[in-house]
Amino acid sequence: MTTTGGLVGRLAAPGAASSATAGAAAGLVGGAVFGVAMASLGTLRTVASIVRTDSATVGFVVHMAIAAIIGSGFGVLVFRQRGQASEMLFWGLLYGAFWWFLGALTLLPLLTAQPVAWDLSSAQALLPSLIGHLYYGATTALVFVALRRDRGTKLRPRPGSAVRGVFAGLIVAAALYLVIDRMAGVRSGWIFVGGAAAGLGYPVLFSDRREGAGPALIRGTAYGFLWWILAAVTVPPLLRGATLNWSQAAVMASMDRLPGYLLLGGGIGLVFTGLGGVSRWLFVDDVRRLEPDSPGSRGLHALGYGALAGLVGGSVFTVVMVLVGELPTVAHLVGAQGAGAGLVVHLLIAQIIGVSYAMLFRRRSFDVASGVGWGVCYGFFWWTLGDLSLLPLLAGATLQWNATGIAAAFPSLVGHLGYGAAVGVVYFWLEARTNPWWITRSEVEGLRATSNREQTLGSAPALWGLIVLIALTIPVFVV
Amino acid sequence: MGWGAFTGALIGLPVAALMGFQGMLAPRGRSELLAWVLFVVYAAGAGAVIGLVVAPRIRGLAVAACGGVVMGLLGWLFFWLTVDPVLHGRLPTWSVSAASEAYRNLVADLLHGGLVAVFLHELLLRWVYTSRSEPESPPAGRATRVVIVGGGFGGLAAAQRFERLALRGHGVDVTLISESNFLLFTPMLAEVASGALEPSHISAPIRAAVAFTRFRRGSVDEVSTTNQAVRLVEATGVEWIPYDHLILAVGSVPYFLDLPGVSEHAFTLKDLNDAVSLREHVIGLLERADHSDPDLMERRRLLTFVVAGGGFAGAEAIAEMFDLVQGVLRYFPGIAPDEPRFVLIHSRNSILPELPTELGSYALERLRARGIEFRLETRVVGATANDVELSDGRRIPTRSFVWTAGNRPGALIAGMGGEHAGNGALITDSSCRVAGLNGVWALGDCAQVPDVDNAGTSFPPTAQHALRQGKVVADNIVAVLAGRDPATFRFRALGLLVALGHRTAAADIRGHQFSGFVAWVLWRGIYLVKLPGLEKRIRVLVDWLLDLIFPRDIVLTARSVAPERPAAHAAEKAPQ
Repeated sequence: MTTTGGLVGRLAAPGAASSATAGAAAGLVGGAVFGVAMASLGTLRTVASIVRTDSATVGFVVHMAIAAIIGSGFGVLVFRQRGQASEMLFWGLLYGAFWWFLGALTLLPLLTAQPVAWDLSSAQALLPSLIGHLYYGATTALVFVALRRDRGTKLRPRPGSAVRGVFAGLIVAAALYLVIDRMAGVRSGWIFVGGAAAGLGYPVLFSDRREGAGPALIRGTAYGFLWWILAAVTVPPLLRGATLNWSQAAVMASMDRLPGYLLLGGGIGLVFTGLGGVSRWLFVDDVRRLEPDSPGSRGLHALGYGALAGLVGGSVFTVVMVLVGELPTVAHLVGAQGAGAGLVVHLLIAQIIGVSYAMLFRRRSFDVASGVGWGVCYGFFWWTLGDLSLLPLLAGATLQWNATGIAAAFPSLVGHLGYGAAVGVVYFWLEARTNPWWITRSEVEGLRATSNREQTLGSAPALWGLIVLIALTIPVFVV
Repeated sequence: MGWGAFTGALIGLPVAALMGFQGMLAPRGRSELLAWVLFVVYAAGAGAVIGLVVAPRIRGLAVAACGGVVMGLLGWLFFWLTVDPVLHGRLPTWSVSAASEAYRNLVADLLHGGLVAVFLHELLLRWVYTSRSEPESPPAGRATRVVIVGGGFGGLAAAQRFERLALRGHGVDVTLISESNFLLFTPMLAEVASGALEPSHISAPIRAAVAFTRFRRGSVDEVSTTNQAVRLVEATGVEWIPYDHLILAVGSVPYFLDLPGVSEHAFTLKDLNDAVSLREHVIGLLERADHSDPDLMERRRLLTFVVAGGGFAGAEAIAEMFDLVQGVLRYFPGIAPDEPRFVLIHSRNSILPELPTELGSYALERLRARGIEFRLETRVVGATANDVELSDGRRIPTRSFVWTAGNRPGALIAGMGGEHAGNGALITDSSCRVAGLNGVWALGDCAQVPDVDNAGTSFPPTAQHALRQGKVVADNIVAVLAGRDPATFRFRALGLLVALGHRTAAADIRGHQFSGFVAWVLWRGIYLVKLPGLEKRIRVLVDWLLDLIFPRDIVLTARSVAPERPAAHAAEKAPQ
């Protein structure tokens, strides 16, 4: 961590300069991918209008120049981050999405003497650009990692991890198969193919580095979103008509598969990590590689804290539940009726999810920001799993995995995000109050604390940003 | 936070200008100026939150920008979807249509959040932190050093309190010195002596209980109040540990009143070794007595068990020894059921003087009814390897003599300056500060802390008092360091409970008296909850459940068939 230099100082540093150069080169590759898409979508002329021309060729040149400049900015921005594929991919996606807001919605209209495109209809019209920015960010990040191989990049997993990934993908696919079968009455074996492919891709991108189950769940959810962009939004139109179709209407039509991909990704992350833990527990002979803290020693405290945090989060969520009149629906889960019964069930569920948060994210927060980050992401995951999937299934209704159903569930999404933020903050406060794992005299504990901080310095902040961005971009997709 | 608000307002101005010029700032009939002011105020508030949440840990530009974006988006959820409708007299709906309507603010908040965090990051790094001369540099002076001597209830409670206080910014360098590396839960010690509980189950590791406190295993044999250091004796050598504040919580050691032969031949019941040795000794004697010994006097000695002292420790010791012997007698067919003899010697006319008279009488009757003999208003005046001599001139032949009739602070306390009470304890003021010794605090059995609410009295040396005194001393040291006056220690005892063996107990809880099975359930329930650590509670609970189902173990782990009292036990030792 630097304490003396600012942006200029970092740019002057030899490592930062090479990072900016690598970023510019990576940005060119990312720009080429985006440029091809723009050519297919016929939007290069819009870029050309910056230099007062309507030539697509000039537009491509301007686009590539901008891509290189923005790519060098990416290199500077992530100069201090760990340079592995798993980390950079999410930074790239977030960076791309941010530039959609800053570039496509704001600067480009201003440079062409147009009003900024901050309203929803303008944003929807520019939805192809958002997806293009995501591809740009992801490609730039991966090429950037490849150019900086000195940071220990490894994109080839061990055979055991690949098998574990495929196995995890098949397990989650089987669970989804049952749900989709019930929802649509259609038996589709393709989901197993998709599950196996996504399962195989997980260890390829994210290597064998050990991490907690909670972060793996969130990482997997973002990974599932990436798969949705690739397999549901991009590839099918190409297969059908050899042309891209990233229009709002097409994306809206693909929304019926978004919850499934989010659950698939989250499930793969969780199962993959869980299987790794089981295999370590069964087969690792070196006890130094095992978790030194037995679950019973401090874990039971954590569960109590999780229940309390869940109660606080549930109380926050109750405001939304009351105002949108959702409590009677929750009461149906236990065959009861009325808002009172719904409130009791709701708070019980909130506590159970709070306990699960404690199990998954114990010792993963070191300040309020990380507490909010993990909590909000977990709230989003539970919106997908709980509100969009389990609630209708348990209430005997049909799943509404489509744009209309997702739009109707938007108030619940807001509630889940608020719930998650409250759970994350309260749990962090409780854990820090009695169990300050980052203040320690023990060398072993210190190393573990450092490892956790490094994980946060890795891709965790990007994951938080990306998940929140996905959640709040939903109106663009579904209206 | 202030810098965050400043940066938030600064970045908010161009964003507001952009929105204003595009006609997005006052779409709901507000005046343009008011809308500008409101937006900048909102931007300053959002910046303050970003400063509060994101800025404290400067970890790179990307992390800062990302935190700003997240906070901006959450701010949009909170303000534009929730607060803004309320300000306009409508209930928030959080619907997609409401989100669509406020979407332009989402873009504004996202950009504002990200830019504020980036600017704030640079501002703090380049101007604020580098221009300050002190905050980022290491503290000019070292942290205040606190040394706690004693790992009992009081010492451990003080260390735990310091760990909590450290979280609130009261950083002190705490070193805990203890001869044993565990906290012994003394109320259950008699049950270890009777074999009902495993020794390690009533002891909690200090390192686990105070994981962030420096722990040194060893004894302190000298305190230099002039140089403010304690002399630590470890297996590897001797070391002086300096302190700014010293907390003495060394407890007490058995006091044999200089009676001839008592220190050499009596067992005590102060620590785990005592309890284990006593159990091994009793089982060993039963093994010897099981063989038909022609010497009847020797047989009487082997099967007579004597306890001196009718307080809590004495009553529990005799009751548990009775349970142990009677419980395992079936394995020793050579011993007749009426052969074992149990005697309790007490200087007063009733036992358990700490409890109300009714409960003392109840305990006396119940134990007598089981066949335990009581020699009341009688004192021990001496002991040999073969018998115990009483003040009435009689001698009780025994090889099992347990001394619980006197305790006092150990040699460390006796060798210190300051004022001492009649029993040798250090006299403190009402805040546990030792009179006349700068920076020295004392608590628990080794201190006499005056009870300001009952003039002329002092607090009794119980675990519940020591535990609370430990917390108060830690608070008081922090208060003194902050220039405040230390607080007076005040505490009203919650109650007293004594186990009398075989599902019987007596309890006085805030004036309410309980006896028999109900009191026994209370005793077990309360002490189970008080036992430190869930793991130990579960283990003790399992031990108790097994004790209900199976007979007690008679396995001897010592090499000697009938171990005599080890020489080391005769020496006074401080249970630190």
